[in-house]
Amino acid sequence: MIHVRNLSKSYEDLRRGPIVALAGITFDAVAGQIFGLLGPNGAGKTTALRILSTVLRPTGGSATINGYDVVTQPAQVRHQIGFVSMNTAVYDRMTAWELVEYFGRLYALTEEKLRERMETVFTQLKMNDMRDVLGAKMSTGMKQKVSIARAMVHDPPVLIFDEATSGLDVLVARALLETVARLRDDGKCVVFSTHIMREAERLCDRIAIVHRGRILSEGTLTELRERSGEHDLEELFFSQISAEENRHRSVDSLPA
Amino acid sequence: MSWINVKLIFLRELRDQLRDRRTLFTIAVLPLLLYPLLGMTFLQITQFLREHPTRVLILNADALPAEPPLLDKQQKRFHVAICYEAEGKLLQLTVGELPEKESVEEFARRKVEGGEFDTVVYVPAGFAEHLTEFRQRVQRDDAALETTADGTRVESLESEVPQPEIYVNTASDKSRIAFERIDRIVDRWREKMVEEHLRQNNVSIAATRPFKMQVKELAPEGQRRAVLWSKILPFVVLVWALTGAFYPAVDLCAGEKERGTLETLLTSPAQRIEIVTGKLMTVMTFSMATSLLNLVSMGMTGTFILTRITSLQGMPDPGELGPPPLSAFFWLTLALIPCSALFSALSLAIATFARSSKEGQYYLMPLLLGSLPLMLLPMLPSAQLDLGTSLIPITGVLLLLRTLIEGQVWEAAKFALPVIVVQAAGVWLAVRWAVHQFNDESVLFRESERFDVRLWFVHLLRDRRDTPSIAEAVLCGVLLLMIRFFGSMVATMPETWQGFVSLSLITQIAFFATPPCLMAIMLTRKPLLTLSLGRPSFWMTIPAAGLLALALQPLTRLLQTVVVQLYPYSEATLESLAPLEMILRDAPLGWTLLAMAVAPAICEELAFRGFILSGLRRLGHKWGAIALTAVFFGIAHGILQQSILATITGLVLGYICVKTSSIWPAMTYHLVHNATAISAARLTPATLEHYPFLRYLLQPGEVVGGEVAVLDFTWLAVGIGTALALGIILWLKSLPYRVFEEERLQEAIDRQDHPMEYVSSL
Repeated sequence: MIHVRNLSKSYEDLRRGPIVALAGITFDAVAGQIFGLLGPNGAGKTTALRILSTVLRPTGGSATINGYDVVTQPAQVRHQIGFVSMNTAVYDRMTAWELVEYFGRLYALTEEKLRERMETVFTQLKMNDMRDVLGAKMSTGMKQKVSIARAMVHDPPVLIFDEATSGLDVLVARALLETVARLRDDGKCVVFSTHIMREAERLCDRIAIVHRGRILSEGTLTELRERSGEHDLEELFFSQISAEENRHRSVDSLPA
Repeated sequence: MSWINVKLIFLRELRDQLRDRRTLFTIAVLPLLLYPLLGMTFLQITQFLREHPTRVLILNADALPAEPPLLDKQQKRFHVAICYEAEGKLLQLTVGELPEKESVEEFARRKVEGGEFDTVVYVPAGFAEHLTEFRQRVQRDDAALETTADGTRVESLESEVPQPEIYVNTASDKSRIAFERIDRIVDRWREKMVEEHLRQNNVSIAATRPFKMQVKELAPEGQRRAVLWSKILPFVVLVWALTGAFYPAVDLCAGEKERGTLETLLTSPAQRIEIVTGKLMTVMTFSMATSLLNLVSMGMTGTFILTRITSLQGMPDPGELGPPPLSAFFWLTLALIPCSALFSALSLAIATFARSSKEGQYYLMPLLLGSLPLMLLPMLPSAQLDLGTSLIPITGVLLLLRTLIEGQVWEAAKFALPVIVVQAAGVWLAVRWAVHQFNDESVLFRESERFDVRLWFVHLLRDRRDTPSIAEAVLCGVLLLMIRFFGSMVATMPETWQGFVSLSLITQIAFFATPPCLMAIMLTRKPLLTLSLGRPSFWMTIPAAGLLALALQPLTRLLQTVVVQLYPYSEATLESLAPLEMILRDAPLGWTLLAMAVAPAICEELAFRGFILSGLRRLGHKWGAIALTAVFFGIAHGILQQSILATITGLVLGYICVKTSSIWPAMTYHLVHNATAISAARLTPATLEHYPFLRYLLQPGEVVGGEVAVLDFTWLAVGIGTALALGIILWLKSLPYRVFEEERLQEAIDRQDHPMEYVSSL
């Protein structure tokens, strides 16, 4: 479904010179699985997912989604994905129903199909009582629900969630995780980025630990545990990150 | 581009804006309230001024003559014979005496500045007696006056009468109005005096006005009104069109960025061009609606106020001030469409650049100030619709509009095409710019970064790329134009051909070659690649380029004739060029070729097809890059007629450079092109006698001003040359060439069908 090969992204910063946000990451995600990107803030998760959603262009490497190249076939790629992130807000002056309908039409669904999908999605996400609520009047949880409905309306094979639970209370976050799990069970390919261990642990079939634009290790939770000898994901994560930090520090302290 | 998506986006944005109270207030409520409010205030002020009585103090009224009377018997108001009833009500008269110890001026100043009176009139002692004496003396000297008839005598007589004085403070509105009112009455009083004087001498009053110029109006009344409105209305309408476009544009772009909904839209299947077009249509709708609502509101208020003022003054219909003709509204609405489109596209591009609504608001002023000259230009009395002005965006539309409102439909039709083409090109460029901004992630995800000139400079030098960036290329172009502009202001016209040759060489090397070479060395990692100094992909392209220049010479010459016919050289230009032609006539051919063919071929090519074209090719569209470079090249030629030809030649040069991946063939073309033109100018009909076979290609040109004209190409030469040129261009087209990374990417995106391993070198 998703093939990422040596994907890199750097940009220029006046003060710090060229900044490497992604230093060549490689991974594959398949249908019926949740692929987790686990990493601290600033690790490069959002950059990677923005490249997958064609909003950013990579400076190196390649990525294909369902056979379409993110650089040269952005329009097709966007048809294949549903993208939810903390940066994809809902319109203030549009009701939940209008917003989902609008995006459904942009995805070129037929009127009949659109009706059917909207009824399904609104029922599935238990959103029927908030159809006519304006975006400006919604709570954070409601907004996130609308975003998910917007991303699901065209029934895409790939769904990308970027830090989707940030800012949500425990109840809403739990409901969201259930939705994501159900999407996997429906055979979707899901990419889920988070910095919360519990979420990754509970949800993801495969996990990639990302730090400083690199994937430190990747595999199923069992594989990761076996490889590192740590049972607790948080400990595992922490030891990997600090090993990497130590390596960096020793490289930095080498005489020039 | 899917029009269904455009429509979807348009309708959504429209609904979104209509649900926004601020937008509704600005476009609908404000104009509906503003003009009536302004109108009411204006009316109130005029009424106040009209009805507010002026207080006038008349000092020493006893010295006034009894006949004709200035004041009535009670000395409470001006005499009925010289002051209308309505006027009298507005003048509150007080008659007083001057205190003994004070001068008139001191007293008047105290009264006026103290606010007790608005103006003070002082009648000198013995005024009446002096007037009578003056009349009698004039009667006596009548005969003498007629003989001198030079006016000196009258003046000396006048000076014998002590003059009445009026004290006025022109810095105060009230005092000035009082003065104007008094002045009108005194004028009538003086006329009465003259009338009486004439009557006493048995002269008819008609003698003072032996004739009167009869004014015959040629313009029908409708047109007179149209002219007035055609100057005011377009300006107001356009200012509102711009304002009405700007605020929604900021909300639709910067506002969406701020609210985080832009990324949502960008991850939807809608393409950037569809998003921009949809938003553009929304902005345009609001721009036009704002403008039209303002127009309607202003029209209604204006008509209402005009009728009120007219009825107040009891004046007859003031022909020129009537409501604008209906056709004016029709043409105005029609002209609003292209102007709104341009303003909307510009606003959209600028608003996309802004990070937040607040930052967006800052850009309104520069945009407004930038477009104001274009809106004001048509209001100049000398501005009129011709080919030159029709090519200026906005100005062209406004002049076309004025011509239409004035009813000269045929005149307008002649220039409608260039106006529309220029305006459409402007809109297209602005839309491309906006789309470019939507594709530019550094614009979309721009974060606030403290700007530091030193750091920026260090960054330029440290993070150089192989070839220049688009911005560096544009900077180089603008720099060259500026250097050229200031250089030409400083340089003086040389008097000898030696002076001309050295001036040309210095200009070429210092102004054209040095800046791009320095920039290439400092700002790029591969200066040779930047300046395309590598060998051409095929050596044959060098002679081919030379041959192409030769083959295109007749066509270029023909084009030159057409351009000069369309845009004749002005007298001033011809005059300034004349000494140069004289100098060049004496110069040896070799030196002339060095100054005007060899040096430009090397230096100008390094700048334009070297640095600028390399940078602009990062646009991703080779023809866009070639065209922009050609425009820079054209403008650098200074004189309009030469600029047009240079731009066209620049297209050919750019194409050669791109297709051969080297600057050498372009230099060859440039060299041969200039050298042939210079040599051909030296051929005379005598040459034809020496080489009779040339008759097939050349013929004596038009004889101007008795001078022997140069030779022209025959149609046969034009035909053969063009055919040969087409062949060479087709051959060039078939050659493989170095495609820039950006161009390859753009091509792949345009096709959207080829997965491609994309690795760029940052």
